[in-house]
This record gives sequence, C-alpha cells and structure tokens, in this order.
Amino acid sequence: MSFLQPWMLAALPLIALPVIIHLINQRRYQTTPWAAMMFLLTATRMARGYARLRQWLILMFRVAVITALIFAVARPLSSGWLGLAGGSRPDTTLVLLDRSPSMQQRQFGSETTKLDSAVNQLVQTLSTLGSTRWAVIDSAHREPQELESIDALPGLTAVTATSSSADLPAMLESARDYIAANRPGRTDIWIASDLQASDWNADSARWQTLRDEFQSFPQGVRFHLLAFPQDVSQNVAVSVVDSKRVETGQGAELWLSLRLARHGEAEDRISVPVTIEIEGARSLVPVELVGVQAELKDHRIALPPGHRKGWGMVSIPADANVADNQFYFVFDETPPRHSVIVAEQPAVGDLLEVAATISPDAQNQSTAELLTPARMTATAWEEVSLLLWQGALPDGDAAREVERFITRGGQAIFFPSPQAADTTFLGVTWDNWVEDATQQRIESWRGDQDLLSNTASGAALPVGQIELQQRMELTGEFTPLATLAGGDALIGRVLQGSGAAYFCGTTPEGAHSSLAQDGVVFYVMVQRALAAGTAALGDTRQLIAGAASPQRRTSTSSATAADPSTDEAQPEQQVLPTDTWQQLAGPESTLSNEYLYQAGVYADEDRLLAVNRPAAEDEPSRVQDDRLAELFRDLDFTRVDTELGREAGLVQEVWRLFVVAMIAAMMFEAGLSMPHRARSGGLKP
Amino acid sequence: MLSDHRSRSFLDPAVLARLGSLPLFARRPMQGNVSGRHPSPHRGASVEFAEYRKYVPGDDLRRMDWRAYGRSDRFYIKEFEADTNLRCCLVLDTSGSMEFGSAGTSKLQYARQLSGALSYLAIQQGDAVGLSCVADGIVRSIPPRRNPAHLMHLFDTLETARAQGPTQLAGVLHELAETIRQRALIIILSDLFLPPEQLADCFEHLRFRKHDVAAFHLLDPLEIEFRFQRPMRFLDMEGGTAIFAEPNEIADRYHRALEVYLEGLKKAVQEKAVDYHRVRTDEDYEQVLTRFLVGRTRARGVR
Repeated sequence: MSFLQPWMLAALPLIALPVIIHLINQRRYQTTPWAAMMFLLTATRMARGYARLRQWLILMFRVAVITALIFAVARPLSSGWLGLAGGSRPDTTLVLLDRSPSMQQRQFGSETTKLDSAVNQLVQTLSTLGSTRWAVIDSAHREPQELESIDALPGLTAVTATSSSADLPAMLESARDYIAANRPGRTDIWIASDLQASDWNADSARWQTLRDEFQSFPQGVRFHLLAFPQDVSQNVAVSVVDSKRVETGQGAELWLSLRLARHGEAEDRISVPVTIEIEGARSLVPVELVGVQAELKDHRIALPPGHRKGWGMVSIPADANVADNQFYFVFDETPPRHSVIVAEQPAVGDLLEVAATISPDAQNQSTAELLTPARMTATAWEEVSLLLWQGALPDGDAAREVERFITRGGQAIFFPSPQAADTTFLGVTWDNWVEDATQQRIESWRGDQDLLSNTASGAALPVGQIELQQRMELTGEFTPLATLAGGDALIGRVLQGSGAAYFCGTTPEGAHSSLAQDGVVFYVMVQRALAAGTAALGDTRQLIAGAASPQRRTSTSSATAADPSTDEAQPEQQVLPTDTWQQLAGPESTLSNEYLYQAGVYADEDRLLAVNRPAAEDEPSRVQDDRLAELFRDLDFTRVDTELGREAGLVQEVWRLFVVAMIAAMMFEAGLSMPHRARSGGLKP
Repeated sequence: MLSDHRSRSFLDPAVLARLGSLPLFARRPMQGNVSGRHPSPHRGASVEFAEYRKYVPGDDLRRMDWRAYGRSDRFYIKEFEADTNLRCCLVLDTSGSMEFGSAGTSKLQYARQLSGALSYLAIQQGDAVGLSCVADGIVRSIPPRRNPAHLMHLFDTLETARAQGPTQLAGVLHELAETIRQRALIIILSDLFLPPEQLADCFEHLRFRKHDVAAFHLLDPLEIEFRFQRPMRFLDMEGGTAIFAEPNEIADRYHRALEVYLEGLKKAVQEKAVDYHRVRTDEDYEQVLTRFLVGRTRARGVR
C-alpha cells in the first residue's frame, strides 16, 4: 500500500483515541449508595462472554473508523507493486519514451499499439501521482522537453512513432544531464519500453557509469519501468537488402533483393504478397515464407528508358506491427568503381590493385590507378571511391587532400610502411613493428557491422584464420574493428565526415601476414570499402533512421555483439542537417524536424535519400529479467509488466474504499452500542 | 380525630378525606374482639341470616324460629352471621435499603405515607391497628389497638422510624406469624430484597395462621430502569461490600436478574394468595391506596 500524502499517516497514533477515551471514562467513576445490591451481585456473577466481546468489538470498530479515516485522507493507491510513491510527491518526473518501431506492435484486432498504450497509462498514472515539473525525453531526439502538465503528453509529436531505434543508455544520459543541470528535488524517471535488446544495449559499459552517477545524486532518483515484454503472435517484417540499377541488353532494370522475416509461430507456410511500388507504379510479387526468413534475390523490374534514378517502396499487408511493413529504397546508375592506390612497395601495390580491380559484379567493372604521393593533387578525386594507401601516413598537402576526400564520403584503407615513421593522420599513428613469433591470430572482430561484418547469410568471415608474422602497433583514437589476444588493435576505424578511414596494422605481403594468401578477408574488406565509397559518390543514399551515417544494414546474428566498442562509435555520428529535405514518400503527418527519424524517401536538392528503420528493430529478442535487474542494481527501481491495450492506469486512488469501510465500521459500532429495548415497561404492577 | 393538629410530613388531610369514603375490607373472616364491619368465623347477632340449626335443649328460646315450627312441627334455631372488627398489623421495613430514593422521596417516606393513611382509615372504621418496624429484627412493635389516641402513638412512631441496618425480614415475618393472634390483616411495606423462595415460606406461614396478607412492594424507578452512563461505584446501603461496575456493560444482566426475581416473586404471591402490589415510588400514593382498597372491596366476603 502506498499513499499520495503519506505524511497524513503521522496522524495514525490517533487510532489510540478510543482506547484512551475508554480508559479516561473508566477513571471518571461516581460513587452512589445503592439498595438493590442483590441484582447487582447476581449481574456481576452472570456469564459475561458476549457482553465482554461486544465491548471489545465496539472498541475495535471505533479504532477501525479512525484508521479508515486517516487512511482515506492519506489518499492510498491501489496495486501492490508500486513502491513508487512511498515518499512524497516527486519534484520532477522525467518520462523516457521508447518510440522505436518495435513499440508499434499491437494486438490482433486492436488499433492500440504498445506506444499508445504506454502513453495512455503514463498519463493516467502520472496525473494520479502528480509532480511539480514534467519533462519528456523521447528516443529520437533524446532532448528533454518540458511539459506544463502530464496531460499535454498525448498531444506532443514526441509521442508519435518513429522508425529510429531507441538508445536507452543515451536517453538515460540525457536524463542524467538534465538532472545535473537543473538540480531538481526528488526525481522520478519513468521508462516506457518493450525491452528490446538492441534498444537497451545491456552490455554497454555506459550502464556502469550511469549507475554510479545516478547514485551520486543527493536528491534521490527513482526509476520506474513500464515494460511491454509481450510478443505478438505473428508478425512479418520486410526489408530491402539491395537495390541496384543494371543496364542490360533490353534496357535498364532494377534488381531488387528483399528479405522477409517473421517471428512468432513459424511452422506453417504462408504466401506474403509483397507490393513493390516504384514512383507510383505498383506490382505485386507473392513470396513464399517457410520458417523464419525468406529472401527474394535480384528480383528484376524493368525500368522505363531514360529512367536514371528514382525511389520505390516495398510493402506487405498490415499485421501485428505496421512499422515494419514498409521499406523504402532509392536507386541510381551505378557510379564507376574507381580506386586510387598509393604504395611504397610495388609488390603490395600489385596485391592491392588485384583486390581492387576484380569486380564481384560482371556488369560493373572496377578500375584502379596507381599513384605516387606527389601526383595526388592532380587526381580527379570526385570520381574516386576508395583510396588504398601503403606507406608512411600522408602529411602536408597530401594529408589535406585525403582528408577532404574522406570527408566527402570517400573510403580509405591505410597499410603500414616497412620503415617506422612518426606521421600522424586523423589522430592515428603507426608505432613500431612487432615480431610475432607465435603467429598471433585475431581474437575478436566486429561481426555486426563494417568491413569485417558477417556475410548476408550470417556466416562469419574467416578473420580468425589470418596469420600474422609482423604487425605495427596503432596508437591514437579510433574504433577497433579487429583486436588481438593481448587487446592490441589490428584494424581501426576513424569516421570523418561522411566517409571513413581504416588503419590496418599489417600489410598483405607474405612476410607480414597471410592476408593476401588467405585472400577472402582481404578481398572482402577492399570490396566493401569500395562499395561504400561508390555509394557515397551516387546521388542516392540509404539511411538508417535516426543515424547520421549511410546505411550499413548488416546481419545482426553477430557473435561479437558484446563488444563494448559499439558505444564509442556513437559520439562520432553527426546528425545530418535536414533543412533542405523534401518528403517524397512516407507518413504524411511527419514534421520536417522528424524527417531523419521517420522512414520515407526524401529529396535533398538533387539527391534522393531513403530512410528506413534499423535492422535490429526486426529482432524480437528482449533483455532478460535478471539482466535488467542487474542494470538497475543498487538503484531505486521498480518494474511493472503491463498489458497491451490496457485502458486503466497503473495506479488508482482507493480512498473511496476506505470511506466505505469507515461508514461500515461506524454502522456496526452504532448497531453494537445501541441500548437494548427498555425493559421497565413490563414492571408496572 | 387528629386532635393535636400537629402536621405530619407523611399525612395529607385532603388525601385522607378522599380515601375516607372507601372502606378497608378483609378478604377473609377476621377475629376481632368487638363488633365491627368485617365477617367473623363465628355466628353472631348481625342481621345477615346464616343458617338453620336443630334445637337442642338449653338453646335460647328467643332465637327459635316459630314460623318454621309452624310449617314443619320441628324446632329450629335461626342463626345469623357475626360481624367483628379486624386487627391490622402493619409491618414496616426500616432496613438501610429503604432509605434509597431517586424520585425525591425515599422508599421509607413512601411507606410512611401508606402506613399513615391505612392506620387512619382502619382506626376510623373501628379496627385495631398495630405496627412493627423491622430491620435486623423487630425494632419497634406496637400491639393493635383501636382508640384514636393510639393513632397518635402510631404516627409518632412512624415519624421517628429511621432506615438503618440490614434486613432480617424473613425471620421477623416468621416470628410475627407465630406471635400475632390468628385471623389478622397483615400489611407488609418493604422493598422485599430477599430471595423469592424465602418470602414464599414466610407467606405460607402467615396463611397457615389464617392471616390476610397484603404486601406493598416498594421499588424506586432507578432500581427498575438502572439508567447510568458512567462507571459507578455502588455502595451497599445495608453495609455490604461496594461494587464497581460499568453500567453499560452490566445493565443487561441487571435487568435479567431483576426480571428473574420479579417472576419468582409473582409466582410466590400468586401461590400464597398474597394481596401483592408493586409500587414505584414515583407513583401517587393516593392512587395506590385507592387501587388497594377498591381491589379489596371486590375480593371481600368469603367466610
């Protein structure tokens, strides 16, 4: 039992009042001479069981009346789990709202999504509990937005669904900053989420920091989690894996690869009608779905002659989650795949050239150009997708040129020079060569994204089989993509503008490593970087909602998701300016400042941008209960699993019950205290 | 008759004057020593015919019924009822409990009013009146006499009677049953706080001695209703131990005990043919006496 005005409970000692009055009354006796002692003596000798019980009952009911009155005035709340209002009314209440697509799940036959349900329940609950100040932190903007009252919550755009994933640690960091900046009194933090594992990022090292910081706040912060862990029975998600425009003999074609994934009951075989819409022209493709996943590979759609670039959408009929039923894509003429190779050692240069020029796609030839650092300024960088550099890191004009290239969206992979050099580029320096007699191997690598990510079928690259004879140590600030047993990084990444620079600690040369010998990893790395660089050259881009970087939709069945380095990548992302965007497709009610978080197709001057939900949102996995408890260890934390579509608030005031109890007790008391019918009437002679 | 004109606190001349028109009758034959207005067990010289009896030599010839001789040629003596006066013995309880009174008047004072009026009425119609004041024994005893001077003595005694000491009513009634000559009217004025069985024995004894027994059972309204709000400490007026009680708690059982007692008493007086009157001390004593006298008029007679 918890109370809205618990200080009223200080009046509880008043329940002793009837007892005290009884005792005082006992002391206030009078003395009288009495003649009819024989009846008194008889009366005192008679059995007193019921009479005594009656007295006790009367006293008990009087105490109950006062107890019920005090409890009613203290405004009790129903439901046992809520230790939430154990203290007084909070000074500030922060609402952390998960707006991710997975919160769009709804029950069969109901229009209410988890997000709607969360907002309704929060409004009802929090308007009951009350607070002095209100603020909302939504998963898209992560900026605290102050409210006049909690009743204003449903009208905010911050409660509409987005296509971007939520980052709970980042939201809590925002809450932490808000508390630190505003120094409110006692603060309640309400988190509404469906506990999706990718949103919670339970393995992040940031949780430890957050725990420590929240504990250090002197005013006390309480956490309430409104969880929707239920899974819907069946849901199918559609996503486009690849879309490319291909010139064939008959004209231009769009080759579309899409994937259907479903959770829930996956035994039966269903046929999903996939609607493909290209700038208004629709076609229907039925896709057979057996098991949890189906893929449509390179579905060819003829494009009108002269149709160079454009956008489209795939959609499936509405199911339990409407947010994952559409996927937008853009396509364009494939730009030329052109690499620039700068190599100190010709042998390495040859290896790099081989890896860069063998195209995986017969229709699309790759070209490479070998340069010396001196000729770099003369190159037409606007046509280059990838820079492969082996040797001392660039400096001077070359460094500026390379940096400009990367900022624009180009990709660069740096391999070390045989001689040690102390130049620094983008904050990274080669150190010294290290001989590894033990032929050290790579122990862990980022399989979930970037150059070393798993293949589309989920298989890991054979990174672990690469043998290292010699390597150069990397120092500086970068995101390690592959690390050795000792924790030293072999491959690091630095994001710069729209592009990325990769630093490899060894060369493909046989004396240094088996990169070229076991060529798969090396080739894949180069081709992936080349593809990313080429994508940046085109006028179309696939974006992940909420994220600034171009889409690297990758398989997420990763073995290394536990790598804490994911988190370090976050601050590097920069929010794209969306001022110049025009919406071409997507939800019509989207506000322009929400473009980045809403799936759709947008035009930015002459570029086309398709924004889609992250792949992780299609994963149904949830944070385990014990893991969740661990995240909030030592914090004042309560969790409630609520139901989808539940209308009532989580807490209800139940003072009426106590008033009824009080009235009942009063009536019982009156009934017991009622004097018996006068018997003197029968004593007339 | 009230020659000394002294005012008595328990006498109201107006009441006495109104009651004077009502005669005090006995319910059964009385044995007096002079002629009076009450039936006697013996044959006498009243005008009321009783029976014929065969003449036996020695009978007074003046009582021979010559008309009967003329009709039947046999000698019959004509006999008449005898009328006699009665001896009225007032038994006044003067134990401590009679001092109790919540309605402005104590039970003893009420009893004085009743006895004063009764003795006046009795002596006025030529009956003899005696008085026994009873507490833990017979405190004062005045034998029955019928002259008006005796009435003054009675009044003086009543006036000086004080309620004190425990009750030994049962023993005293047994004693009076033996000492008072047969066939008297015995009027008991008491609160009768005795077990009904003991009282039944006493009444039985008195009836065996052919007395006509009347009882005024005096009860205070507070004793009947037992209306108390606060806890009380009850002091026994006859010197017993005090009792501390919560009236709210005990009232039920008090009433039950009172009811049981009154039931037992009612049974006893009905069985022993006692002229029983339960009197609340807030009642008007004139009405009580009127009821008493009228009731006796109806029950009068049997020889």
